[in-house]
Amino acid sequence: MLLPRTPWQVTRAVWHALFLREALARTTMDRMAWFWMLLEPIALIAMMVGIRAVISSGQHIGGVHFIPWLICGLFSFFLFRENMMRSIGAINANKGLFAYRQVKPIDPVFIRCYLEGMLKSFIFILFIIVGMLLEIDLVPADPLGALFIWLLLWMLGIGAGLTLSVLSELVPEIGRVVQLTSMPLILISSVMIPLNYLPHEIQQYLMLNPIVHGVESLRACFFESYRAIQGISIVYLSVWALGSVSLGLLLHLRFAMRLKAQ
Amino acid sequence: MISIRNLYKRYHNHHGSDWVLKDISIDIPTGVSVGLLGRNGAGKSTLLRIIGGMDTPDRGEVIRDCRVSWPIGISGGFQGSMTGRQNVKFVARVHGSGKDIERIIHFVEEFAEIGKAFDEPVKTYSSGMRSRLSFGLSLAFDFDVFLSDEATSVGDRAFKEKATKAFKERIGQAGLIIVSHGEAILKDLCQAGIWLDQGKAHWFDDINEAIAAYHESTDKPKHNMKIK
Repeated sequence: MLLPRTPWQVTRAVWHALFLREALARTTMDRMAWFWMLLEPIALIAMMVGIRAVISSGQHIGGVHFIPWLICGLFSFFLFRENMMRSIGAINANKGLFAYRQVKPIDPVFIRCYLEGMLKSFIFILFIIVGMLLEIDLVPADPLGALFIWLLLWMLGIGAGLTLSVLSELVPEIGRVVQLTSMPLILISSVMIPLNYLPHEIQQYLMLNPIVHGVESLRACFFESYRAIQGISIVYLSVWALGSVSLGLLLHLRFAMRLKAQ
Repeated sequence: MISIRNLYKRYHNHHGSDWVLKDISIDIPTGVSVGLLGRNGAGKSTLLRIIGGMDTPDRGEVIRDCRVSWPIGISGGFQGSMTGRQNVKFVARVHGSGKDIERIIHFVEEFAEIGKAFDEPVKTYSSGMRSRLSFGLSLAFDFDVFLSDEATSVGDRAFKEKATKAFKERIGQAGLIIVSHGEAILKDLCQAGIWLDQGKAHWFDDINEAIAAYHESTDKPKHNMKIK
């Protein structure tokens, strides 16, 4: 008779299997998936740079050239957004697997977030290296700080993903609404338009958005001479990240069986 | 041994919710084949799903200190966009097979006899091919207890024969909990029986007694039955 495995052994086996499956699906299911993974951010950045060049004449934002400023902002925003969006579909896409009692609804969410974060980090590093060769100043002035903020943003994305993956399964409309809001979110997160271009009365409300704190802190770590928006707080971002992860875990714990049975 | 302790289960719907299973406590020893009997809607499949961990009881618990399979022949356990081989690999990894993966893939490929389709996406399979794959996959693992929900009735004639034979070999070494209305199958495969009636479970050491009890309950005219 085989000995029953410990819970940790089971979980590790499930994560391993799910990771290989998701990684395979991400990189081979589309035609030229790898190519698109690289081209997508390049095309987006090219468009943003084009739009900015037409609209305003200023080359610098807060003392930094606008191209590295934009790249930094877009990557940090997409790290958050993709973690959130990919998680929403994770449970539904893996319904069939819940027939094996070892697989819990939280497992595909974790794996997708892990994979997404790794891919985004890899592509960002690739951009930094290419930027170095092209002499665009993309090397972080404070690498350790940048890494920390990057991880915090990732965590915020995982938290939002964990929470919304449960909520959107229980109430499908929530998934729709989140999809709708993800576009305007980029406009109010200081990604393309610096928040200090806006009147102070609006700005003080937009500062409640934790993504702004992440995006601006990351830029401050990247560019030594950058003048970030007043009132940026890493603590505020950390509280949001920890809070959303905790809420997400709680929801998964509470509704695990309902998600599985659906 | 699988121990079921004070298990309750009900499903909520718009017409209130009666208990499907009510205070069930049973120990099922390993190595014994057990048939689950009862009317339609008596909770046989529900009990099997709870034993398999696909569903949770509202109260009470199931303690498994042996390796229990998923219900054999479930069709939902595959990802359509991936090939049969990839799906088999996935399930083998989930069950922590380690170095055994190659043996399991080989076994399933041999057993299912679906040829080149093994490397095609599962969504292109016919339902017969699908059940061949899932049946082969269940038998590839060394479970202590197999769960089965009318599983021996899949596939064409030749496969059915082969499946029944392999199935019998397997349960010679391991236990089996089976839900079936085919009394010949139950008598053939099982030693003991559980009869589910009005939310209660009754254990019989002899499957024939369980069948007899089940027959008696259905033959008896019911007082509460009204003819409209």
